[in-house]
Amino acid sequence: MKYALFPGCVLEGAAAEAYTSLKKVCEKLNIGIEEIPNWTCCGASHAQGVNDLAALAVNARNISIAEHMGLDIMTVCNTCTLQLRVAKKRLDEDKALREKVNKILKDSGHPYEYKGTSKVTHFLWILDEHPELLKGKVEKPLSGVKVAAYYGCHILRPEEVMKHGESNQNAVYMENLIKALGAEPVPFSASHKCCGFHAQLAAEHDVLTVTGQIVDSADKAEAAAIVTPCPLCQMQLDMYEPEGRDAVGSKAEVPVLHLQQLVGFALGLSKADMGFDRHVSGQKKLKIG
Amino acid sequence: MDMNLKIHRFVEGKKWVQDYKLTVKTGMTVLEALTEVKEKQDPTLSFTCSCRSSICGACAVRVNGNAELSCEVLVETLMKRYKTDTLVIEPLGNFKVIRDLVVDWDPKYATIKKIKPVIEPKKEFSLETGCKQSPEEFNKFKKYAKCILCGSCVSECNKSALNQEDFLSPFVFVKAERLVADSRNRSPQEQLKAIVEAGLWRCFNCQECTAKCPKGLDPAGAIEKLKESTFAHKLDDNVGARHAKAIYDDISDSGTLDESKLNIKSEGLIMAALRAPMAVRLMRTGKMNPMNGHPVNPEIETIRKIVKNAEAASKEAE
Amino acid sequence: MSFLHVKLGLKVEKETVSLTSNEEEYYMSNGISRRTFLMGAAAAGVAIAAGTYFSWNGKNIPEEVKKGDVTYDVLVIGSGGAGMRAALAAAENKGLKVAVMTKLQPTRSASTMAQGGMNGVTKVTDKEDSVESHMFDTIKGGDYLCDQDAVEYFAENAGKNIYEMDYMGFPYNRQKDGCFHQRKMGGHAHARASYFEDRAGHAMVHTLFEQCLNHGIDFISECIMLEISMNGDNLNGVIAMDMRSGNILGIPAKTIIIATGGYGRAYWVRTSNPYSSTGDGIVAGMNVGIPFKDPEMVQFHPTGLSANGVLLSESSRAEGAILVNKNGERFMAKYAPEKKELATRDIVARAIATEIEEGRGIGEGIRAGVYMDFRPIPPERIRERLGQVWELSKRFAGVDITKEPVPISPTCHYSMGGLEMADFHTGASRVKGIYVAGECSCVSVHGANRLGANSLSEVLVFGHTAGDGAAAFAKSNNYAGSQDKLAEDCSRWKDTFEEVTNRRRTVGKTVPEIRDAMVNTMWFKAGVFRDEQHLTEASKELEALEKEYSHCYVGDNSHVFNTAFYQYIELGNLLQISHAIVQGALARKESRGGHSRRDYPKRDDKNFLKHTLIFKDKKTGKYRAEYKDVVITKYQPKERKY
Ligand SMILES: Cc1cc2nc3c(=O)[nH]c(=O)nc-3n(C[C@H](O)[C@H](O)[C@H](O)COP(=O)(O)OP(=O)(O)OC[C@H]3O[C@@H](n4cnc5c(N)ncnc54)[C@H](O)[C@@H]3O)c2cc1C
Ligand code: SF4
Ligand code: SF4
Ligand code: FES
Repeated sequence: MKYALFPGCVLEGAAAEAYTSLKKVCEKLNIGIEEIPNWTCCGASHAQGVNDLAALAVNARNISIAEHMGLDIMTVCNTCTLQLRVAKKRLDEDKALREKVNKILKDSGHPYEYKGTSKVTHFLWILDEHPELLKGKVEKPLSGVKVAAYYGCHILRPEEVMKHGESNQNAVYMENLIKALGAEPVPFSASHKCCGFHAQLAAEHDVLTVTGQIVDSADKAEAAAIVTPCPLCQMQLDMYEPEGRDAVGSKAEVPVLHLQQLVGFALGLSKADMGFDRHVSGQKKLKIG
Repeated sequence: MDMNLKIHRFVEGKKWVQDYKLTVKTGMTVLEALTEVKEKQDPTLSFTCSCRSSICGACAVRVNGNAELSCEVLVETLMKRYKTDTLVIEPLGNFKVIRDLVVDWDPKYATIKKIKPVIEPKKEFSLETGCKQSPEEFNKFKKYAKCILCGSCVSECNKSALNQEDFLSPFVFVKAERLVADSRNRSPQEQLKAIVEAGLWRCFNCQECTAKCPKGLDPAGAIEKLKESTFAHKLDDNVGARHAKAIYDDISDSGTLDESKLNIKSEGLIMAALRAPMAVRLMRTGKMNPMNGHPVNPEIETIRKIVKNAEAASKEAE
Repeated sequence: MSFLHVKLGLKVEKETVSLTSNEEEYYMSNGISRRTFLMGAAAAGVAIAAGTYFSWNGKNIPEEVKKGDVTYDVLVIGSGGAGMRAALAAAENKGLKVAVMTKLQPTRSASTMAQGGMNGVTKVTDKEDSVESHMFDTIKGGDYLCDQDAVEYFAENAGKNIYEMDYMGFPYNRQKDGCFHQRKMGGHAHARASYFEDRAGHAMVHTLFEQCLNHGIDFISECIMLEISMNGDNLNGVIAMDMRSGNILGIPAKTIIIATGGYGRAYWVRTSNPYSSTGDGIVAGMNVGIPFKDPEMVQFHPTGLSANGVLLSESSRAEGAILVNKNGERFMAKYAPEKKELATRDIVARAIATEIEEGRGIGEGIRAGVYMDFRPIPPERIRERLGQVWELSKRFAGVDITKEPVPISPTCHYSMGGLEMADFHTGASRVKGIYVAGECSCVSVHGANRLGANSLSEVLVFGHTAGDGAAAFAKSNNYAGSQDKLAEDCSRWKDTFEEVTNRRRTVGKTVPEIRDAMVNTMWFKAGVFRDEQHLTEASKELEALEKEYSHCYVGDNSHVFNTAFYQYIELGNLLQISHAIVQGALARKESRGGHSRRDYPKRDDKNFLKHTLIFKDKKTGKYRAEYKDVVITKYQPKERKY
């Protein structure tokens, strides 16, 4: 099993621990990953609001490189997944658009054209589709650990683009994975809510409020950690947790884990392996790893 | 097959959840289930409906936490989706509740007024001879003319849940895009200005609206189109627009986002400096390192050309 | 003038105060945990936001109306196409106070549901079209029961209204030269229907609504008109109930325009109409002396879903769907050997009804029907052109029409009859100050049978006309009503509300029970086919039902959004409408257009080339029929052949 990895900008920067932990976990699970050479930013859900066609062309380029590698694409970020999948869907369904974009790529000197041969999937979906990957690998089952599964938005919506499992509105695949790791998923009301990351600057007070609400909700559900498949959600909830607390007048402090970190702990990897020292919140509270 | 309905009741200041049992029939919609309860079990249950064929927008409610057009969605479908024989029915979210499942639309209509919801036809057109528009021009906005004002899109809108005073409901953006993209309209400048002021950039991009719209209108997509238009009309002097532009420019600058400069570009040096305590915290954990130079993509020339060529191609399409 | 507003809500308001927290005055629906359902466990997380209670102080009604501080120059009842078009026309006269009242929200009406389009001669698509042709098609389609002078006025003005809608922003489908495109509808000789996909009515309503919002026209929403208040010959205004507070409002007005739509709900599940088409305005108009013209003229569309009456578009048959009975026989060959399924609506509807009556139908009672089989059409074409039909069949009948036939039966589609419009140049009724427009009125443009896409254009033309007419009257007349009488009528309705809603369960049948009985009577005895015996029975049964109605059980005495009371009012109106349909049908001893008598199967121009006018006696409440000749100008009646 091998994928072309699209890491996304934050894994190169603020969420570097998400990258190191991913590499270690994939190695343990025998998932081969090869970074897409010279990939660019997916547009981070903002570029299309400046120029839609440019954002589309840039992602067509990203995908075409993976196609040239002959591999499907693995992502670890909700927003990257959505941006790439939206681009793919539009290009696959609209021949005229595909031709237009391919012409742009060609005229600009990019060596490959977009063909539509590589799938775009998320690390979480791969684990869900291949339960055999974890078979016999869970060295340290997380028994008794209560975990709040925080999906975030872009892995669930819009369903047309991001369909996974029977129903996105009643998605249970992350809870299933948590169970497979030996931990206990807790029902928590903010699970499908938005962390507000993309509007942090334009609607700061609202975003901090919702950050606080999400963390508080997980705390009330007695979760020992929040886990999320998206590094942007993770950053929002982890880095802004103190401001979030202030905004809603809560005392809750809950560690916020990248999905691959939780998997890593169950595979027997340590906090240091998973780069947990780079987290802002819950340093003293995390009892696993 | 039997089912349970747990309906959130609200009558004259009292709130409770009431259980009803009924038998599911083939093709039974949620609206039919509600109607059966009202007619056979409890005449006090209140809800609204009119067309029962998904065009009037009167019947949207929340089922198990998600907005649905009750005359359209089958009970069976939902029971299967949620793997349960119990459906919890509530009024739409982010509306004032009048009674039971009936909600207050007036504040929403008031926000439609804010965007001046009509076209101002170009000078060459008249009341007597109408307007001219090519089929291609018509195609640009026709999708957005299909909104039925059902309110499903706002029910789980994450931004609206926090504050609706400085934001428009998603369907208002849909309406706005319908007007802005209509070639009969003299100039959308005024409408765009009103939309920016009313909160265009405050959208969280959570996609709930797009997920919920029973007509597939993609309000979140309409918001993106409106944003694009604000650049074309030079209405881009605000934090949101600057932030989007900074991200966009980073693609051409280096290929990837330069986090350490992003805020400064978006908010200006002073505002960004006010975030110093935050920055210190991030540097302490190693999340931010302004000393590291940001790497530049080796293929940056190609990437720049792609962006330039795409910009030129989209100008051409105008 | 606040004494006019009898506060039913008093008790409620007090309670509310005690329940309302200081900062928040309403309950905002929000944040219940969707994850609660996931694991079937009780909510462990917090609800993200909780709220308190609604203050009843909605903005559905302008403050000055609540206080009784306003006398409207033009008060429009109904926010369908006719109502909003009328309001816009009236509001062009600066300085006039204009408002639109509706029992629902403004964008929810029968108009919203219209699919095909709206006619008007513009020649943009078909150069050969002419006003005469539109006129002739309409008259022939109406089986010569149309007033030809009115039809001429209608055909002359329809095109103009289509251009106006273009200027207002109607999203017309376009043709290459940039003009809106027009398509040809059944019964028309030329392409003259402008449209927006299969949502012409929806587009019209939203365009008009946006214009109304922009013109600052007052809306009085979620407010049901109960009665028109008169003082002798003078109009006082309208008595209505604010659904939110339960307050009975007396709203003074110099003129009113009744635009409350049709009465298809007399056939309840066997109609394509929305729940709100209950003839309220017609009954209110009859109560103040306006005659109900041609009530027996009801159009039955052949292909409604048996399950619930929802319309499966005419294009089903046009694309090649066939009709078969229980025995698998393609029966249309018997009734229309040449055109078969493509015969006109009335012929096909009657054929289906005959098959069912003679025992070759499927299903029972009110939901009996025959099969419509789409399998002769290639599945790709079904998906491409009949998407909506596929979807509706799948949803409501659980049938995939590419694989199986779907049960259908005739469904009541349109009310040709309505309040008599006395002057089609102004929209005036015969009662001073009261104007009528749209489906609730009878001009008569549609005669005994309405043609496709003629209704939306009627709505525009006469909505516009009535708006102008009422405005002109308001400008040159002072308010002559009596506000004391208005107040008196208000308090009578307050008492009615209290009496009706506080009845005990033991008193009698429920509103839905009586309604279902009414529908059985109307569908089987005054439906597609009629005859003396059945109509006489129907009349007796309706009388009995009216008795039951007088002491029926409503079951809800709340003052806030009491939909049970609202349905009680609607049923009362439907019973009166039904009575008029039966009375008109009994008297019309011929078959014409939508009215089909088994005992008089032929059209009889000698005796019945005239309109029925049903008057209601103000004292006894009894109906009395009068007749009025049809206006013939250019086209002498001929036998209708297609
Ligand atoms: C499924 C369907 C498809 C159709 N397709 C076509 C078509 O393609 N072309 C065409 O020309 N016609 C079509 N028609 C017919 C056409 O839609 C209607 O005849 C027309 O729109 C009637 O408009 P209106 O304004 O008179 O009334 P409506 O649109 O019915 O509006 C009535 C208004 O009055 C209000 N009201 C009623 N009672 C009260 C009360 N007591 N108090 C306060 N307010 C009240 C209602 O709330 C509503 O706002 C179709 C109809 C249906 C049902
Ligand atoms: S994408 Fe924006 S408008 Fe749509 S639901 Fe989310 S926050 Fe609301
Ligand atoms: S945008 Fe969609 S969900 Fe929102 S009101 Fe319109 S039709 Fe309903
Ligand atoms: S009742 Fe009209 S949309 Fe459902």
